[in-house]
Amino acid sequence: MEQLYGIFVYAVFLLTMGGIYAVLTLGLNIQWGFTGLFNAGVAGFFAIGAYTTAFLTTAPSARHFGGFELPAGAGMVAAMVASALIAWGVARICIRLRSDYLAIATLGIAEIFRLVLKNETWATNGARGVSLIPKPFEHLPEPWNQVAMLLLVFAIVLVLYGLLERARRAPWGRVMSAIRENEAAARAAGKNVDKLRIEAFILGAAIMGLGGALMAHHIKFIDPNMAEPVSATFLVWVMLVIGGSANNRGAILGALLVWTIWSTTEIITTRLPTEWALKAAYLRIFLVGLALQLILQRYPGGIFRERRLRTSTTASNRGGGSHP
Amino acid sequence: MMDFVNFHLIPGVVLGSIYALGAIGVTLTFGILRFANFAHGETMTLGAYLTLTLVLLTGWHALLFLPVALALTALLVLAMDRMFFRPLRHAPSIILVIASFGLMLMVRSLVQVIWGTELQGFSKGITLPWVLFDSLRVFPKHVVILTAAIALMVAVHVLLRHTRTGKAMRAMSDSPELARLTGIDTERVVRATWIVGAGLAAAAGIFLAYDSHVETLMGFKMLLPVFASALLGGLGRPYGAMAGGLVIGVVEELSTYAWIGSEPLLPPGYKAGVAFAIMVAILIWRPSGLFRGRVF
Amino acid sequence: MKYGKLLGAAAALLAAGSTVALAADVKVGSAAGITGPIEGLVPPILAGRDLAAAHVNEQGGILGGGTYVLVPGDSQCNPKAAVDAGTKLVNVEQVVAVIGPSCSGATNGMVQSVNIPAGVVTLSDSATAPMISFLEDNDLVFRAAPSDGYQSSALAQHVWDQGLRKIAVTYANDDYNAGLGEAFVAAFEHIGGTIAGKQAHEPDRQSYRSELATLAGGGAEALAVFAYYGGSGITILRNSLENALFDQFLGADGMMDNSVIEQLGADTLRGKITLSQPAPQAEGDSGPGESYTAFAEAFKAAGHDPEAPYVAHGYDVAFLMALAIEKAGAADRSKISAALREVANAPGMVIRPGEWAKAREAIAAGEDVNYEGASGDIEFDENGDVAGATYSFNGVGDDGTWTPMQ
Repeated sequence: MEQLYGIFVYAVFLLTMGGIYAVLTLGLNIQWGFTGLFNAGVAGFFAIGAYTTAFLTTAPSARHFGGFELPAGAGMVAAMVASALIAWGVARICIRLRSDYLAIATLGIAEIFRLVLKNETWATNGARGVSLIPKPFEHLPEPWNQVAMLLLVFAIVLVLYGLLERARRAPWGRVMSAIRENEAAARAAGKNVDKLRIEAFILGAAIMGLGGALMAHHIKFIDPNMAEPVSATFLVWVMLVIGGSANNRGAILGALLVWTIWSTTEIITTRLPTEWALKAAYLRIFLVGLALQLILQRYPGGIFRERRLRTSTTASNRGGGSHP
Repeated sequence: MMDFVNFHLIPGVVLGSIYALGAIGVTLTFGILRFANFAHGETMTLGAYLTLTLVLLTGWHALLFLPVALALTALLVLAMDRMFFRPLRHAPSIILVIASFGLMLMVRSLVQVIWGTELQGFSKGITLPWVLFDSLRVFPKHVVILTAAIALMVAVHVLLRHTRTGKAMRAMSDSPELARLTGIDTERVVRATWIVGAGLAAAAGIFLAYDSHVETLMGFKMLLPVFASALLGGLGRPYGAMAGGLVIGVVEELSTYAWIGSEPLLPPGYKAGVAFAIMVAILIWRPSGLFRGRVF
Repeated sequence: MKYGKLLGAAAALLAAGSTVALAADVKVGSAAGITGPIEGLVPPILAGRDLAAAHVNEQGGILGGGTYVLVPGDSQCNPKAAVDAGTKLVNVEQVVAVIGPSCSGATNGMVQSVNIPAGVVTLSDSATAPMISFLEDNDLVFRAAPSDGYQSSALAQHVWDQGLRKIAVTYANDDYNAGLGEAFVAAFEHIGGTIAGKQAHEPDRQSYRSELATLAGGGAEALAVFAYYGGSGITILRNSLENALFDQFLGADGMMDNSVIEQLGADTLRGKITLSQPAPQAEGDSGPGESYTAFAEAFKAAGHDPEAPYVAHGYDVAFLMALAIEKAGAADRSKISAALREVANAPGMVIRPGEWAKAREAIAAGEDVNYEGASGDIEFDENGDVAGATYSFNGVGDDGTWTPMQ
């Protein structure tokens, strides 16, 4: 019975983390899937969102800036606004870069953000991070507080999904995919391509900031290590590509699937004999890598392919890094 | 003044030449296979650990094994290409990037399993520098690293300029469609690319280990500055990558020189950000890199 | 023959399965940064924890003959991963308690998000951030590693007594070393010393020559290096010595590992370096105490280096957790916190590393026990923290190993 209860709590937790990653993946999907912007700096916007809400919702502390004790909801909104503002600045500089250059530029900018978080100790408590971040519903008894957090995360995912699906079908979304498919034609048709791309970049970054804020509240703690590129940028990319870019449902399911692989492999490897304990922990990452390769070779276009609004002759040429 | 040369300029040049060796591989892979290879850092690590094994087995000097380690690493990388990249040859480049990310995780964990995570070294003890003109401090190991790095870069130059394979590589980097039309065996060029890239990456890893020590994350920590070097030089441009590596290595070290007063110009905690700051600046000022890389 | 063995093994497995009802395995989560930025430091720490488990299991097992099992979890020194590892240990593996994880940030995230809400005790062996004392933890979070102020003050006082007055400080910008470095600066200035330059450096760089040249310009008599030996410590020592920038060094336990001597050479370092390490001293004597010696000998016999950073703490937390479970009399999460305090704190019969059989008998007889660990006496205060241990100050001895110096 206890075992069953434990598995239930773990499942709730697994889905909550997967859901938070789904928020990040949806944000990336706007930038990459719909607009073709290769943002490799997800971790940067994640961190901005997480620190913004941490500063606003914690109690005053001598260790870090902020301490306004605002409610978590206000923190999340502020996280989105802060990410959007910074994304606007980044986009002004970088938006005209071609995909691979944009990728490396955003990766670099995210790393610079992380160094600032580590070094400006007076504001961020440096490498020691910000603690005691309030978690929504934490006054509820176990396990209902965790279930409530899960419901909150999934409500957010569903709302985002609904809004993004509407946006995709709306004229705005059509112009976006037109830009992605054929920028020159879109320009020729009189569209302000740069402005539209900046809009998509900002919108995606704001959603990533929300994801960061959710993570900060969920873990109740944030430090610069949480914004290192492997688990905060590349993992999100893996989720989007595996799920199927330009498909919102694929983005959500990709996040849940990849997070499940990432997390549950450890349950298998801890079953190995103790003398293998260390090697098993290393091998777990090997298994994750191998699973990725197998999925990529089986479904090179992602598990869920893009759903086209109308038949298009370029449908077979989707998802490339080098857009013509 | 001599402090400037000894502790900022020379280390910068040594570091820069190691970055450059790594960046050539990144830029070639990018030019010919059309994706940013995240497993490139692990290739460096692999080269260093293979050498370490040979050193531990024989007790000879690490650099004697340079050719063997380069060849072994290249063979392993060819095998990885066969298993993980070749099935995706015609997939969009983002798929290849993700595959290389998966490969990075796999190689790293195998290194951890086989060699363990504890720090090791090629040799024991410290080496003292030659002191020239009473003030210039030159380390024998740095002379060796620089000489070998320059020799490797010259070899790359000869390969690219004067051999059939090299010319085919350049042609394919410039225009894959055209190259295919002129009947170049693309798989052969791809193999050559992997061999050159992996060999140089292994050399970079070995030099790095020779200057300091061997550890499991050494290649991964080099990955971002190496990407920055490749980008600075213009993606797909091997000569640009050499220059980019040197510029980034030197500027990183100079950033902590006390240009004004006695404090470092930039707090050393920010040193790792220098490569990116240069990169972003270059992107704004000259988006195709110093050496006009591929824009597509 | 081969099949016979297999059959035998299968039979043994079945037999093991059937004894579960009599004396069940007792599972404790053993979280550590197995992969990630400190992965080079972790294997010896886990070896320390495993040695404690081996001692328990060799000497009659736990709770009436059960096997004491440490279930590994990879916290990666990253709060996200730590929370994920923690929830698997607590919910899927159903561990009684958790030891570790390694880094302060990972500990902070894991206890707040998983362990405290689930009512599971966490006993960390290396989280040193002061912040952890201030969590609302319902008395569920304990640390065997002292908060960083203690070690830094002890080291500052020691080098002041040795006659150093002007010191340059460099520390790795991570959650452990930054705290130590800042605390050292404060302590040394408080005594009256001068800090001739202070820098945070980014760990894992290939060279620190330029940073060190700038620091050396301040005219300091010695360089204080707060870093992990693998991250930047060895590189800093190497760069300083090769370039004659500094020839006196001091540092804390994150630097103290045999590989420092192996990499740089005993003769190079002899007489030039002082490293502090928590080491309980014998009464009225300056040598290492009985507890540390007992642990060090057993650990050496198992083929490991007892001076590696935090291995003694690793042993202590695993042993102490077994004692607490034995004291609680059941694998019951809710009883561990009180029991842990009882077995760790005085008064009671003194139990040292390796003395499981003795402890088990004493607990069975209803006697109070008091564990005196390899890393210190371990007396938990109301925050679940230990006060600073006594520290030994080590240099390179004639036999080429780290040796306590006067």
